[in-house]
Amino acid sequence: MTEPASREAANPSDEPANGAGDTPVPVEEMVLVKRALKGDLSAYDDLVRRYQERIYATIYHMTSNHEDANDLAQEAFIKAFQALRSFKGGSSFYTWVYRIAVNKTLNFLKQRKNKTHMSLDDLDFNAEHDPDLVALISDKTPRREAGLAELQEKLNAAMQKLSEPHRLVVTLHDVQGLSHEEIAKIVDCNAGTVRSRLFYARQQLQAYLSDYLQ
Amino acid sequence: MSQDTENFEQLRRLLKLKRYEQPPPRYFNDFSSQVIARVKRGERGDGYASVGRVLWEAPWLQRIWAAFEAKPILAGAFGLAVCATLITGVIYSERTDLQPVALIPGAEASISGPMDSPMEIATAMAENRTALINPAAGLEGSLSNSLSALPTDGPLFDLRADPASLTIPGPN
Repeated sequence: MTEPASREAANPSDEPANGAGDTPVPVEEMVLVKRALKGDLSAYDDLVRRYQERIYATIYHMTSNHEDANDLAQEAFIKAFQALRSFKGGSSFYTWVYRIAVNKTLNFLKQRKNKTHMSLDDLDFNAEHDPDLVALISDKTPRREAGLAELQEKLNAAMQKLSEPHRLVVTLHDVQGLSHEEIAKIVDCNAGTVRSRLFYARQQLQAYLSDYLQ
Repeated sequence: MSQDTENFEQLRRLLKLKRYEQPPPRYFNDFSSQVIARVKRGERGDGYASVGRVLWEAPWLQRIWAAFEAKPILAGAFGLAVCATLITGVIYSERTDLQPVALIPGAEASISGPMDSPMEIATAMAENRTALINPAAGLEGSLSNSLSALPTDGPLFDLRADPASLTIPGPN
């Protein structure tokens, strides 16, 4: 699956509002890393608590399976602890852990191949009050009888149809809200490739979910 | 293009739904403690953690491991190659024709014939002890004896095999 080069420049100003960007390592975070390096597990516990939700969410959106996401997220943090000596502080600890988690997830998905078994998390009750989602299940949509649970299932099924690199980019950008540059660092490619993959993945998703989009 | 952008906007709204997917309540309360417990278990030095550390610190090993994980056929081929090397090694080691070497010079001669009397046994043991105490002297003597006994004409080694006979001296 390769995208034409002309798509590279698509949606150039499509940055999320809450992207973390390439921020220098916060001092406090580095202090925690140094303490963890000396064997202070409470410091590492602080680091895990700080990023556990985002790491879990990324893996969950990639696998669409809670149990797999739980195992992989734990393993990613354990691997990060074991490799803490190789962390030089060139990027944020968060980006570094993210890279470990993403690599672990991609390896897992390669092994799992097509044996997808969805085990979806429940929707937060606030979803029913989100104006964007309410609009999607309003009279204007072609399938107005579709409830949020059905939408969730269809959306996850469509995500699973994407190739891993495309699913990863959609997850990191559209769901997690990371910037193109930060995704490029995590995935180890350039920002243009990220934009290109994002455009292609959105096109694919749009085709799969045409019944639920205007 | 504007149509595409508009459609993507719809899609992005739909993708917002993913942000509302939440793990079971209080799931994250125990998450870090589970990670720390597993880290502690790893620190006690079980084999898996050590292997993992070695793999992580050697990137080329990590790449090989990743290749094996991704392509099981590669792992199978590698295993087959290792087995083939092992079997070849075993076969060649069996073919090597090593002559047994008498570690104690004179010992072979002393036990070549049946010893009838306790006196003969005692003499043989004394000779062996001398050879053990001063192996160089024993080696020198046996070497000069062997060289003088070499035939001047004809084959150097007589490879004829004599049938072995085992006679146990009776009480009378």
